[in-house]
Amino acid sequence: MALVKTQTDEPITVDARQAGRDCASLMVQLAASDPTARRWAARDLVDCPDAAPALVARLKQEADVSVREVILTTLTSLGDATAVAGLVDCLRSEDVALRNEAIEAMQKLPDAVAPMMRGLLADSDPDVRIFAVNILESLCHPEVETWLIEVIDRDSHVNVCGTAVDLLGEVGTVSARESLLRLQVRFADEPYIRFATDLALGRLREA
Amino acid sequence: MKRILIIDDAATVRLYHRQILEAANFAVEEAMNGIEALEKVLQSSFDLYLVDINMPKLDGYGFLRELRSGDLPQVPAIMISTEAQPADEQRAYAAGANLYVIKPVKPDQLLAQVRVLLGEVAQ
Repeated sequence: MALVKTQTDEPITVDARQAGRDCASLMVQLAASDPTARRWAARDLVDCPDAAPALVARLKQEADVSVREVILTTLTSLGDATAVAGLVDCLRSEDVALRNEAIEAMQKLPDAVAPMMRGLLADSDPDVRIFAVNILESLCHPEVETWLIEVIDRDSHVNVCGTAVDLLGEVGTVSARESLLRLQVRFADEPYIRFATDLALGRLREA
Repeated sequence: MKRILIIDDAATVRLYHRQILEAANFAVEEAMNGIEALEKVLQSSFDLYLVDINMPKLDGYGFLRELRSGDLPQVPAIMISTEAQPADEQRAYAAGANLYVIKPVKPDQLLAQVRVLLGEVAQ
């Protein structure tokens, strides 16, 4: 039996902008009670060069996932120092979803993120250093392997090194070989590091 | 044979845990994030979950909350994470974990904890 579409005369709900579209009004609407209004405001602020501070402030308290997504997209489009600093700040959040969203956003900003990568990889918080390695996973930048080698040569935290080794298994070349071997010696009592480095060593490509 | 679902976005970690568990005669399946794990839970039954925290799409806390609040088969879950703060552990238990373990795990340690949660005698 053929399926027949039901016809309806009900009007289609239009997800339309309801308020002023100048930059000042849009920043005010970021705090609107209606998530649709907040979402439209976040989207339209992409044309406002000074919008990053307001977007970052909203991001930290925004509970609606769809609004957060748009804020992150707009911050990524703006890509200025305030936007990137706001994303870095999110790495320290206790909200796991927000942290992961920030990591994904930063992966799309290689030119803006690259200058601060060594600082992030040397952060005093090992969790932030792990998230920094996670950013490298999809950061299209020629220095990625160099940064990862520096991590496994210098970082004292086993899980920071373990995360870097996992990624070196995907992007590493023979340039990483000696550092991986040194890491095995440094964490000789950690079976996971032995396992991960053996795996990475077997996958290294020609430089 | 008891079936264990490993949920972790790091391929090396999944492989490491799989190797340990399969050597001890457990059947293992893998998921890369919480969404994929929920799909697998809906398709077949498991006896235990090993759950990472930081994963894209749906993190470990989110997976456990969905699992524990939904009409899904309820089995024990071990949360295994690099995050070592007491607050991380408290959040894991609040989300529905039965045990919290900090990475990296040693094979004997992991097997002992798995067997305890499966109701087997630890060896």
